[in-house]
Amino acid sequence: MMNPMPDPSYQPAQAPAIEVDGVSYSYPATGIGEQGVEALQRISMLVEPGARLGILGPNGGGKSTLIKLMLGLLKPTSGTIRVFGVSPKQARLEGLIGYLPQRIEAQRAWPLSVRQVVGLPIACRLKPWQRLGSEHNAAIDRAIEMVGLTELDARPVGALSGGQLQRTMIARAIAGGPKLLVLDEPMVGVDVAGQQRFAELINTLHRELGLTTVVVTHDLRAIAAVADRVACLARTLHFHDAPEGLTPQVLADVFAHDVAGVLGDVHVDAHLAEDCADPSHTLTDPGCCGHDHGGDNR
Amino acid sequence: MSWPAILASLAIVTLGGGLSVIVVLKRLAFIGQGVSHAAFGGVGIALVVGLSGATMASTIGQGAVIIAFSIAAALWIAALSKRSAGGSDTAIGVVLAVSMAIGFILVQIASERFEAAHEGHDHSLEGMAHHEDSHHAMEEILFGDVLSVTPNRALVAIGASVVILAIAWAMRRKLLFWAFDEPVCGAFGVRTDRVQRAFLIMLALSIVVAMQMAGVVLASAIFVLPGAAALNLTGRLRPAFALSVAIAIIGAIGGMLVGSGAGMPIGPSIVGVQGVLYAISFAYGRVLK
Repeated sequence: MMNPMPDPSYQPAQAPAIEVDGVSYSYPATGIGEQGVEALQRISMLVEPGARLGILGPNGGGKSTLIKLMLGLLKPTSGTIRVFGVSPKQARLEGLIGYLPQRIEAQRAWPLSVRQVVGLPIACRLKPWQRLGSEHNAAIDRAIEMVGLTELDARPVGALSGGQLQRTMIARAIAGGPKLLVLDEPMVGVDVAGQQRFAELINTLHRELGLTTVVVTHDLRAIAAVADRVACLARTLHFHDAPEGLTPQVLADVFAHDVAGVLGDVHVDAHLAEDCADPSHTLTDPGCCGHDHGGDNR
Repeated sequence: MSWPAILASLAIVTLGGGLSVIVVLKRLAFIGQGVSHAAFGGVGIALVVGLSGATMASTIGQGAVIIAFSIAAALWIAALSKRSAGGSDTAIGVVLAVSMAIGFILVQIASERFEAAHEGHDHSLEGMAHHEDSHHAMEEILFGDVLSVTPNRALVAIGASVVILAIAWAMRRKLLFWAFDEPVCGAFGVRTDRVQRAFLIMLALSIVVAMQMAGVVLASAIFVLPGAAALNLTGRLRPAFALSVAIAIIGAIGGMLVGSGAGMPIGPSIVGVQGVLYAISFAYGRVLK
């Protein structure tokens, strides 16, 4: 399954949804006498169009940093990221990426209706003198319908419950017709029944809109329902495979690494550390990737 | 009041009515204060380098220095609030205080220089008049003087108001998305930094234009009060903008009538009447809820 040599005859029929190649990122130092914090170290992974990727890792493991890099809101310190074959910034400006933020910081006191919020990304791509056309309105209607808020579409966002507001933000993320949907910790503070409904919603969107989805979470229970493959992230990529392969040993290591890192006593299982250092390890699921791929030979 | 002054005032308050909704929703009221006080530093610099506004050229030069200083202050506040731990309130506190200090020191230096140059004439009528003038000038800087608005200045104020309103209209959707959800709109292809810079520059320019009428201390009020009042009355977006502009204009007309009727300064009267309208809207908003 693992092939150290790239196949020269391989030509991608379609650009990968996400291609992360040897990416490191360090946050700049925040004060005198302090050093920058390295959040990610040599991450490589490849996500095919239509995949459902889960990114699992401890708090501070670099999950949100990786998302910001995918969205082009941060630039890698080294390495490259492509989203559908173009730079993340380009992909973002073209509206290829839909994003659900971790914490919804939108101003709830705002005089905006559900419909107006959902339409904002589409409206922002219009020229000043253009108005929302019937095809735009249809896209907004469909997005609101898919998250089940049709009856509330004129309601001010300030009058929504937390769950309704989150669904509004999901509708906002899909209304512009993205190809990639990135969800940052969407299931924090949601009960088990709510998580189940949420997973169903995400899977429905994935299926009906042909999306590639990336769900970031530190919640182990939540991930299997929304991901075909799981990437375990604790500064480095520890594991990148189907959720069934996620053994207690792997998890213990990913989450223990975090603790050990804090204590200054990094203690990583030798076998796993070796795997992490080998980027080809990141591509081990032929069912999902469809081809073997030498991660560090590009 | 002259027609140019009346029209200039109406143009500026209309601009204030439009921008104030965003200012209030995005919580930029205090940035407006910071910018207008920073403009005082610009006034000081202009006076020290000899741009007193006595001639057309020196008026333009003075305006350019004040505008440059105000825009720099707005962008400085934005940059500081991004980096420093205290956020924008610390940044504004720093910029506002430092600019006011610089302004007072430089205005003092300029007026001492002026007095030194006119030594010997101090007790002449002319010297007394100049002394009176410099007091009046300081008051004008601080609180504005609509009556001193010449037709040319009125034309500049009206033109600037129209241009800024047009740019804000063209950017309205991005401004809204940015103001509503700044951390996220970047992920949807809005260039957050550009939108922020553009809005702060527009706000700084607007405040400089409004300073003629309401002075350093009160200029930012007309970019807060109408929007705040409108948002007390409605929870919907378009009505909020319409009400804000209406309240701004009614406040201005009321202020001009009260001010010229009672012989009070016009700028503060307009701000006062807008303040009364705000109080009414606040009470009415409470009743509505």
